[in-house]
Amino acid sequence: MLQVSNLLVQLPTGKRLVNDVSFSVGRGEFVSILGCSGAGKSLTLRCVVGLTRPTSGEIRLTDPRGKSYRTTSVGAKELRRARRHIGLIFQGSNLVKRLTVLENVMLGRLGHIHPLRSWLLGFTDAEARQAMEALDRVNMASCAARLAGSLSGGEMQRVSIARAIYQRPLIYLADEPISSLDPRNAEAIMSILQPLSRETPVIGAFHQPAVVARYCTRVIGVRAGQLVYDGSAQLSSRQLERIYGDANSETFAEETAAQPLLFEPGLQPALHPSLSSGVPV
Amino acid sequence: MTPEVPAAALPSRKFRFTVISLIGAIAVLCLLFAFLGMTPASFGVDFRFVLDVVQQMLPPHLPLLWNQKSILLSLVDTLAMAFLGTVAGGALALLLAFFAATNTAPHRLVRLLARTLLVANRSVPQLIVVLVLLIAVGIGPFAGLLTLIFGSIGMYGKFFADTIEQADKGTLESVESVGGTRLQTIRFAVLPQVMPSFVANLFYAFDYNLRAAIPLGVFGGGGIGFELAFANGLLHYKDVLAYTILIVVMISGMERISDWVRRGILTQPMATR
Amino acid sequence: MGTEIPLLEWRQGRAAHRRRRAVAALLLVVLTLLSAWRCNVDFHSFATGIGKGVSLLELFFPPEWSGVSEMLQPIAVTTVIALIATLLGMCLSLPCALAASSNIAPRPLRLAMRSFIALERGLPEIVQMLLLVAIFGLGVIPGLIALSFSSIGMLAKLLADAIEEIEPHMLEAVEATGATRSQVIRYAVIPQILPALLANGLFRFEFNVRAGVILGAVGAGGIGFIMMTAMNSMNYQRACMATLLTLVLVFVSERVSDSFRARILDGGALR
Repeated sequence: MLQVSNLLVQLPTGKRLVNDVSFSVGRGEFVSILGCSGAGKSLTLRCVVGLTRPTSGEIRLTDPRGKSYRTTSVGAKELRRARRHIGLIFQGSNLVKRLTVLENVMLGRLGHIHPLRSWLLGFTDAEARQAMEALDRVNMASCAARLAGSLSGGEMQRVSIARAIYQRPLIYLADEPISSLDPRNAEAIMSILQPLSRETPVIGAFHQPAVVARYCTRVIGVRAGQLVYDGSAQLSSRQLERIYGDANSETFAEETAAQPLLFEPGLQPALHPSLSSGVPV
Repeated sequence: MTPEVPAAALPSRKFRFTVISLIGAIAVLCLLFAFLGMTPASFGVDFRFVLDVVQQMLPPHLPLLWNQKSILLSLVDTLAMAFLGTVAGGALALLLAFFAATNTAPHRLVRLLARTLLVANRSVPQLIVVLVLLIAVGIGPFAGLLTLIFGSIGMYGKFFADTIEQADKGTLESVESVGGTRLQTIRFAVLPQVMPSFVANLFYAFDYNLRAAIPLGVFGGGGIGFELAFANGLLHYKDVLAYTILIVVMISGMERISDWVRRGILTQPMATR
Repeated sequence: MGTEIPLLEWRQGRAAHRRRRAVAALLLVVLTLLSAWRCNVDFHSFATGIGKGVSLLELFFPPEWSGVSEMLQPIAVTTVIALIATLLGMCLSLPCALAASSNIAPRPLRLAMRSFIALERGLPEIVQMLLLVAIFGLGVIPGLIALSFSSIGMLAKLLADAIEEIEPHMLEAVEATGATRSQVIRYAVIPQILPALLANGLFRFEFNVRAGVILGAVGAGGIGFIMMTAMNSMNYQRACMATLLTLVLVFVSERVSDSFRARILDGGALR
């Protein structure tokens, strides 16, 4: 179970990117964080895994036996230990392109391997077999020996998920996993994540409320760093407005469409960067 | 049923491969050392001797650098050699490159000849060039300059020729289609595309030639290399160390400056045509 | 669409650009003339030089063909020196590059390493050679040390630049699994820069062959030494033979290096 308490990320200028956000995620949940670009979705997830240090707040992960791990205010060693239990799925290319698909998956349990063993021996055949199981679950077993750089975006995303599965974490974190994918691949990814979430909770940052409504069990809405909604994944337009702001704004129209819009008559056309590269906040 | 791990991706196999390659590489290295007649024993040095020589070198005779005007002048000579060698050599290289590129050469045979000349020029060792030139035009920076020019032609001619060949065909054809002569095509279609890479390479060539000017000076080509070799011959090691420091500072400094100037020139927006 | 430049501004921009170009051209001409003066550029001496050079070159031919067999060993020596220096350079440049990269190394280490690398690159091989000969005497050892040292410098800089260009997402993803920094290096950094390491190494090998010839002339042995002694003793036909053999060596080393580099950059990228 993940517990985020009073998370605060404040710039030296005083601007609060994440403002007193608290929530918890438990078994069987498929939580989605919704919000505009810059609202703080990705930043919250980065804080959970410790890639960004929050100004204050506590993030705690508890396993079924009661042992807990923190990712805030901890030293490097404990952070690494906590990270073993968080399966991170980024958007886009973060597989090591020059390693094979199988090796990329095996990277998932690096936290459990002593660095000396990594340098002297590398991975073992037993680990490779387990990694194949993870790849099989995402239907990428046939690509095991290929270089990760030769895969398409959708395939890379699936390998990312396989890596997270192989990790056997306590929770999966997905940072905009389908934003750079076409609708068909996006559906494929969501249909992998959903059954996954039944055994191990998944929390992800998403852009697409319509997709989220079909697959997720719960939505957390953030706006300008603050938690403005925490409840059912079926959002009414008023609730969407609360998360995304003015219904007539360009952001609203683009963010809430299931398909990326390039131009709609009557509105200012603007190519939102999030639609192509999605630099996380 | 989970599919088997593909044989090529088996970690144990990769591990064996890595170990064998490593052992192989070390074996090759040992063989190479053995070929040179070097055993682990030859690395043993008489430390007292080393200390003695090092003591002769320290402290470096730095006041020489500002007291003796001739030293700073020879530094300027080295810079001058490198500069002019780059400019003249680069210009000639560009000229030859136009004859060596498939899209600008007047005739296939001319292109073949130009390419062969470039290859030959590049392969001739600078050592023999400088020695011959020293006899031909005498000791001093002129011989060094001519050596650098000679060397630059071959080194950059090939690269420029490749760049010219990569020029966008569409632009060339559009100039030709309105009746441009070959020369006009080159001037308006090829040259603008090649210019940025040409200018950037000139800066790299300058860095290279500056370093190359030192050994040329040692052999007699003038500049700070000449002073260094002279002092070395007289066993004035304190002077040698002082010149060494000067050379290091010059090379590092000029590299930064040339980097800065290159960035300044290349990021200037070209004229709005 | 709001991207029009008013005519006046455009004209002023062009005038300013023309001024800049004129200043640059003037600077170029002044520097060229100054350099020509310092280099004693003298067209008369150039003309007579051509005459002298040609008559000298006539003495080079025919090359001393009989000397080929005895010159093969010095050629091998020069090649081996270049090979060893390149291999040592490649191996030792990796840790240096890691220590010099902003995304891997802490700031003080990085600054120290970058300065050291600058020193390795700023010291020409021949200067190192002269100093080392004073310490170690003549022979291959000073040549090996000088070439290796410079090789490490050049390769480390190129490698460090390549390391800094690795997409940060790639490194973060590995880090986020709980890996230590050394594991990130082992599994993310090294695989990504391996092609760069090999390609740069091959490029450096070409350079080391040429430099090895020059260092040979000042005492490292090999074909450079043969060339130098032949020229000094005015045995021009022998020098010519040595030059021809060196030419072949340089040409072959370049071809080999180019073809391997092409294979690395193609094959490694896609496969």
